[in-house]
Amino acid sequence: MSAIGCQEFLSRLDDWMEGKRPADTQAHWRECSRCRSVAGDFEAIREAARATAVLDAEPSPHVWPALRAQLEQEGLIHDRRERRAAGWRERLGAAFGIHPRPVLAGAYLTALVAVGVALVLPTGRQSSENPWMAHTRTATEPLQAHLASAAHDTISSLQSSDPVVAASLHQNLAIVDNYIALCEKSVSEEPDNEVARDYLYDAYHQKAALVAQMMERGEYGP
Amino acid sequence: MISYNCSPARSSWKAAALLAPGLMLLGATAASADRMERRFKVEAHPVITIHNPNGAITVRAWTKSEVLVAATRATSVVEVFAEQTGNRVDVYTHQVSGAATPQELRADYEINVPEDAELEIHDDSGGVNVSNVLGDMNVETIAADVALQDAAGYLTIKTVGGSFQCLRCAGRIEVSSISGNFRLIDLRTYNVRAQTSTGNILFDGAFLPNASYRLKNYSGVIEVRFSPGDSFDLSATSLRGKVHNEANLTPPSHHHILPRFGNALFGTFNSGRAKVDLSSFDGTINILKRD
Repeated sequence: MSAIGCQEFLSRLDDWMEGKRPADTQAHWRECSRCRSVAGDFEAIREAARATAVLDAEPSPHVWPALRAQLEQEGLIHDRRERRAAGWRERLGAAFGIHPRPVLAGAYLTALVAVGVALVLPTGRQSSENPWMAHTRTATEPLQAHLASAAHDTISSLQSSDPVVAASLHQNLAIVDNYIALCEKSVSEEPDNEVARDYLYDAYHQKAALVAQMMERGEYGP
Repeated sequence: MISYNCSPARSSWKAAALLAPGLMLLGATAASADRMERRFKVEAHPVITIHNPNGAITVRAWTKSEVLVAATRATSVVEVFAEQTGNRVDVYTHQVSGAATPQELRADYEINVPEDAELEIHDDSGGVNVSNVLGDMNVETIAADVALQDAAGYLTIKTVGGSFQCLRCAGRIEVSSISGNFRLIDLRTYNVRAQTSTGNILFDGAFLPNASYRLKNYSGVIEVRFSPGDSFDLSATSLRGKVHNEANLTPPSHHHILPRFGNALFGTFNSGRAKVDLSSFDGTINILKRD
């Protein structure tokens, strides 16, 4: 049996992604399918980022800590210091033995957006508009496909028995999709418009958060 | 039927049902609403978590060092739990049987808490109403509206389609939604971050010195009201929409890079002690004199 638990493993994810893998962390990774899955998701994100990156073969070293901070901020993973204020899902999950896979899927989606968009946002260097657009499309098209696929799967499995909730989720997903389409149009028309790009990023982020929320609904029901 | 699991240690409702069926069955019928109350002694700064998929949640502060949970459920299709772990009280609703209408799944809560309590509330549909609680608060809903009065602390509110109203709130507010409208009235907050996609945002509160107010939407109207004695630095940008301003702004003294896109307005009102940042994609921004 490994000497560390899931929380400790998750707290070491940054090191894990950087290749720092002491024996006790590896032991936990071998024994815990859930943590193995989380690490696998993060590996997949990195691979997706590599595949879509044109200018940067490797995400900035700041990406992983930033991702972690983002996921913690959104409550998708928890810092040990925040255990006292642990959320209801975690407690219900522990109480009922529910495997929190949707939470991981949500983390994956959010991280995918964070990495995908982090790679295409301007990094301070000057570039001409056409390469920027090409780069943006290269990075955002797979992202869009991932989100669309996740949304499609989620809608078909949504178990909400409350029509008000289901209608709200569907209606707001449509709003965000429309929002993305309009922002993409704006960015396409004015590629160097930072405000439009900022709104596009917001829209992707919002869709990922919403789909993650719908995934949780689909898994747990009301 | 109302069920409470009050053991200090965490335990599942399934185990409780097997071990103490008498406690789980409190004589209600499946077709009628029933009500139960439960009290918990707490110390300073207790944490109260409430998870209720469908129904109204009303939380009020009182002066007692205890938490009173009063639950009314529509039918026995749902069970209501309240349990204490240390200085935390967890309240949640659980669906017992599979097929049920939303009306059958409804549970309403009235909860009294010490005013320094921290709250974590999840309510998909129904409504959340919190009064006079001064501790930090995290509220998440899907369709449920959220209304806070005289709250303080660090307030984090997320809705999908529910509206948000905050009356006489203080502290710090972060609120986000996709289609919810926000009404921020008589606030005394030093930090406000409000973002909605298609909702309207109304801010009618004090601009505190050194405070920061950032309101953002995609479409809809952002309306900010000011008094002659207010003091703020204003930045208002609508990429595709309009900006209407009634404030007599002093142009920025330093060199300001004006955006090349959209309609933008920058300037200082009086001595510019607060920072106000308004942005919209294709919505209208109104900066209006307070009546």
